[in-house]
Amino acid sequence: MNIIGPDYLIFGVDDLPASIEYLTAFGLKPVGVDATGGLFEALDGTGIIVRAKGDPSLPAPLKTANMLRQQVYGVASPADLDAIEAELSKDRRVTRLADGSLETADDQGFALKFQTTKRRALMMPAEKINAPGAPAQRAPNEIGVWEDMPAAPRSLSHVVLFVPDIAKAADFYCNRLQFVITDTLVGAGPFLRPKANDDHHTLFFIRTPDYMQGCEHLAFHMGGPTELMVAGTRLVKSGVQSFWGPGRHKFGSNWFWYFNSPLGCHFEYDADMDKHDDTWTPREAPMGPEASQIVLFEMREKWAPGGPPPGAGKGPKPE
Amino acid sequence: MSGAAQQVITGRYLCHIGDVADGIARGFAVSGLRPKVIVVRKNGHLHAYLDACPHYTGGTPMAWKSDAYLNGAGTHLACHSHGALFELATGECVLGPCLGQSLTKIDVTITATGEVFAAI
Repeated sequence: MNIIGPDYLIFGVDDLPASIEYLTAFGLKPVGVDATGGLFEALDGTGIIVRAKGDPSLPAPLKTANMLRQQVYGVASPADLDAIEAELSKDRRVTRLADGSLETADDQGFALKFQTTKRRALMMPAEKINAPGAPAQRAPNEIGVWEDMPAAPRSLSHVVLFVPDIAKAADFYCNRLQFVITDTLVGAGPFLRPKANDDHHTLFFIRTPDYMQGCEHLAFHMGGPTELMVAGTRLVKSGVQSFWGPGRHKFGSNWFWYFNSPLGCHFEYDADMDKHDDTWTPREAPMGPEASQIVLFEMREKWAPGGPPPGAGKGPKPE
Repeated sequence: MSGAAQQVITGRYLCHIGDVADGIARGFAVSGLRPKVIVVRKNGHLHAYLDACPHYTGGTPMAWKSDAYLNGAGTHLACHSHGALFELATGECVLGPCLGQSLTKIDVTITATGEVFAAI
């Protein structure tokens, strides 16, 4: 079962115009979007599909107020769809659609779809850095940053779910769909990667009460920490509310910056995540500020030391 | 509301009542206070709350962008972290992660000339 990761996340939202404004500001490209919503894609074609919550084309909502309607997983080939159908049909209904894709649900009622992946191969350099002792990554006269540098989300990275039963969730994804646990934040939950993806995680669970089940956040990969901070700064300047970051996580080593959204969950830019293979030994750490980040910053308005001398412009000093 | 010219106001200035039209919410920064104060007017009544969703200890800002505090229908204050909804008149969470908890209500005084002061 060569599951690669999420191709699309589908939402049924309370405020469609606000969501369209948000997804555009986030840097995703609308593809065939009209007044009923549509797909907002990253550079590799993965992305977010958004519709009004009453749209009849949407899968049924969760029992909670969360707006996530379906997770669409990309797989490597039609043979992988056959393998998933054979496995999951043992104990649940799996619907084969006309295009060969599969629809079903996990053990806790999250709607799932599996399709031969729609993602496009990207051929782009990562952020380049220069450091003493290492070969320069940027050639002489090649500058690192400029005001209008591109900083677009490259690929849908991961989804984080609020789940009532961590053991049941981990069992389903690991034992039925061949995901692997890479690390665990004890008190929150495990990080998972699917077999055909070496990213530290495409999926993370956070234990919550039944009434919170849903999507906590989703993340898009950026080209590096500079792109992440440039994109985040532009987003905040447009008025969007920062939630957490920028900073860098310990598990996964990825840079992060989270923002509020009108889709009922956080949106994250991430960058420079660890890669793993099957020789990796999973780690555990208790959930908390120390375990979750190596550094955390908070954005402030641009400022520079200097400026006029003290007292300048205030007129003569009183005697 | 007292119309006395000598009215003594205690509290911090938030806004002029004309800054918050009926049916909308806005956030106002108060010097020395980390969260903004949300002022919302509905059916002629003015309500104010700390911009701090009780889902997380210490609270977290609720708008998705500047002044975007309401749900799509404009019936509730919404936290755009996880979609929690709060009653406009009471601040009580009626949907979402902080179900049963409430926003921190801020008492306000409105002067004869329409200035809104927060009792903080």
